[in-house]
Amino acid sequence: MADTTPKSNGAGEPIITVRNMGKSFDDFVALRDVTLDVNRSEVLCLIGPSGSGKSTLLRCLNFLEAYDAGEVRLDGELIGWQEGVSPRKARSSGTLRKQRQHIGMVFQQFNLWPHMTALENVAEALIQVKGMGKAAACEKAQAALAKVHLSDKAQSYPANLSGGQQQRVAIARAIAMEPRVMLFDEPTSALDPELVGEVLAVMKEMAAEGMTMVVVTHEMGFAAHVADRVAFLDAGRLVTCAPPADIFAREPDDARVRSFLQTYRERNVV
Amino acid sequence: MNFSFDVIWHNLPYLLAAARWTLLISVAGMAISIVWGVFLCAARISKNRLLANVAALYISFFRGVPLLVQLLMAYYMLPYVGLDLPAIAAAILAVGLCSAAYTAEILRGALQAIPAGQTEAAHALGIPGFSLWKRILVPQAIRIGLPSLVNELILLVKVSSLASVVGIGELTRISQNITGQTYRPLEIYIAAAAIYFLINLVISGLGRLAEKRLQAG
Amino acid sequence: MELDLFVRYGPALIRGFGVTILCWAAGSLGGLVLGFVIACLYRWSIAPVRWVIYAYVEVIRGTPFMIQLFILYYGGPYVGLVLSPVQAGILSFIVYGSPYFSEIFRSGFNAVPKGQVEAARCVGMAEATILRRIVLPQMLVPITPPLTNFFIILTKETAILSVVTVPELLYETQTMAAETFTYVEPFLVLSLFYWLMVIGTNWLGGRVEARVTRHLKRA
Ligand SMILES: Nc1ncnc2c1ncn2[C@@H]1O[C@H](COP(=O)(O)OP(=O)(O)OP(=O)(O)O)[C@@H](O)[C@H]1O
Ligand SMILES: [Mg+2]
Repeated sequence: MADTTPKSNGAGEPIITVRNMGKSFDDFVALRDVTLDVNRSEVLCLIGPSGSGKSTLLRCLNFLEAYDAGEVRLDGELIGWQEGVSPRKARSSGTLRKQRQHIGMVFQQFNLWPHMTALENVAEALIQVKGMGKAAACEKAQAALAKVHLSDKAQSYPANLSGGQQQRVAIARAIAMEPRVMLFDEPTSALDPELVGEVLAVMKEMAAEGMTMVVVTHEMGFAAHVADRVAFLDAGRLVTCAPPADIFAREPDDARVRSFLQTYRERNVV
Repeated sequence: MNFSFDVIWHNLPYLLAAARWTLLISVAGMAISIVWGVFLCAARISKNRLLANVAALYISFFRGVPLLVQLLMAYYMLPYVGLDLPAIAAAILAVGLCSAAYTAEILRGALQAIPAGQTEAAHALGIPGFSLWKRILVPQAIRIGLPSLVNELILLVKVSSLASVVGIGELTRISQNITGQTYRPLEIYIAAAAIYFLINLVISGLGRLAEKRLQAG
Repeated sequence: MELDLFVRYGPALIRGFGVTILCWAAGSLGGLVLGFVIACLYRWSIAPVRWVIYAYVEVIRGTPFMIQLFILYYGGPYVGLVLSPVQAGILSFIVYGSPYFSEIFRSGFNAVPKGQVEAARCVGMAEATILRRIVLPQMLVPITPPLTNFFIILTKETAILSVVTVPELLYETQTMAAETFTYVEPFLVLSLFYWLMVIGTNWLGGRVEARVTRHLKRA
C-alpha cells in the first residue's frame, strides 16, 4: 500500500497534517482519503497525471476549495471548518482570512493585478490586510522584490514584465506576507522554456532558507533535486509519498508511477 | 384607483391596429436602413478618400443627433425645400436614414471580423474580386452581423414611438388619444408597453432562429 | 441667418441647455448607481431575486423610453406619485438607464479573471476590499467603451423629455420656432449642438479609456 508516513530525512515535525481528506464536485470524486504530512522546512513535490487532483489538493490546503471529508490542519489548527462542529460549518470569513495569511500561494497564471505596479502588487496586502503604513509596506515590498532579484522592476506594470518576472513578483507578493508555508501550482508551466530556470532558481533559494513548500510541478528535474519528498497522485488518490531517490532512481513499485515516469523519460526530461 | 383590465380589453383592438403602423415604420425603416447602409459601408471603406470621408461624416452626424430632432427636421424642413411627403413617409425616411448610419457600422465591423487569410486564400485561388464579395465576404458579414442587425430592428420598433410626435397614429400616438378619452393612462400605457415588449420578444426569437439556420447552412 | 432671433431667445435656450445637462447628469448618474446596485444584487443573491432582476432588465430594455416616461408622468398621479416634468424626466431616465448600466457592470464583473480574485483571497483580503481594490479598478478597462457609448445614447435621449414639457433644449427650440415661424435655422443649429455634445462625450470617453488602460501599455 501507499507509504505516506514521513521519512526521517532531517526535516522538522509536521506543520500541515492532512487526514483522510476528500473532495467531490457534485458526483465526481476529485480526491479521496488523502493522508499526508508536510514537515517544517520541507519541500514536498506533488506529481501525477493531468486531472489526478493535484491542484484540487493544493487548493484544499488553503480552503480555496472546501474539502468535504477528513481534515486539514496547519500547526494543529483545523483549516476552513469550525472545530468539532457537525455537520460541518465554515469558519467566519475573518478567521478564514487570518488562516489564509499563513499560507502563501503561487499560481500557474501568475494572477498579478494588472493595474498595479510590481511594488504595488506586493505592498497591497501589507497595507490592506496587515494594516501597515504605506512607507513601511513599500519598504517591506522592496525587500521581498530584492529576494526574487527584481528590485529594478519595482515600478513596472505586469504588462511590461516577462512571464518569469511576473511569476517572481507573484512569489514576492506571497513571501512578503511571511507565510508559514508556500503552495505552488505548476509555477513554471505557463512559461517559455528559457524563463523556467529563473523561477526555479528563486524557489531553490527559498527552499535553502528553510521555507516549507508544497509544489505541484511537471519539472521532474526540480522534483528530483530540490524536493525532500515526492508525492504521486492518481485519480484522486495518493499513491505514494517518498524521497525522490526512491521514486526516480530505481524502478518504483507501483505500476502507475512507473508508466507516468516512463513518458517523461521518453521525452528526456528527467 | 384600481387597475382596470376592462379598459385595456375594450381598447385592445385599437391598440393592435395601431401596432401595425408601428411595425410598418420599423420594418420599412429597416429595409431602407439595410440598403442605404450597404452603400454607406461600401463608401466608408472605399479607397476613394473623399467618398470615405463623406460617409464617415454622414455616419457621425446621424449618430450624433437625436432621432427626435431628425424626425422634426424631416417633418418641418422637407416641405420647406419643396419635398411635400406624407408624414408617414417622412417618418419612415428619417428612421431609415438614421438607422443606416448604425447598419453601415455593423456591416463594417462584421467585414473586419472576417479573417484576412480568407481573402488571401481566395486571391491565391484566382477567384475574381466580385465573386469574392458576393460569395464569400457578404454572406459571412451578414451572418456575423445578424445579431446586431436584429438588435437594430428591435431598436427601430422602440424608436418608432417617436413618430407619435409628428402626429402619426402608431401605437404610442393612439395610446395617447385613448388616454385623452378614458383618463386611464396607467392601463393604456402599460398595455402599449406590453405590446411593444411582445413584438420585440417575437423579433428576437425569430432572430435567434435565423441565426441557427445560418449557422447550420 | 436670423441672428437677432438667437439673441432674443438666447436666455431661454441657455436655460434649456442647463435643463438638458441637469436631466442628463442626474439621470445618468442615478442610472449608473442603480445599475451597479442591480448588478451586485444579481451577482450576490438568491435565484428568485435574480429572476426578478432578469425580468426587470428585459422589460425595460424591450419597451420604448417614451412609453416608460408616459407611465411615470401620466400614470404616476393615479398611484399617488405626482411629479413635476423635470422630476419625472430624471426619474424615468434613472429607471430607463439602470438595466443597460447593470448589464455593462455584469459583463465587467465577468471580465475580471477568477484567478485575480483568488490571488487576493490567498493573501487574506476581505471581499469588500477585493471588490474595491481589485475587481472595480480592473473592470474599468472593459466597461469604459460601452459606458461612453451609453452616456452618448442618454445625451440624445434627453430630447424626448420635451414631449412631457420638460423645458430642455429641444423644447425651448420648438417654442422659439413656433413663436417665430422659423424652422430651418433653429433646428440646424440645434442638431449641430447635439452633434457637438456627442462628439465631446465621445472624446472624453476616449481620454478616460486611455487613462484606465495606461497600465496595459507596453513600454
Ligand atoms: N470546480 C470544479 N468543478 C468540477 N470538477 C472539477 C472542478 N475542479 C476540478 N475538477 C475536476 O477534478 C479533477 C481534478 O482536477 P485538478 O485540477 O485537481 O487536476 P490536476 O491534477 O491539477 O490536473 P492538471 O495537471 O491538468 O492541472 C479533474 O477531473 C477536474 O475535471
Ligand atoms: Mg492543476
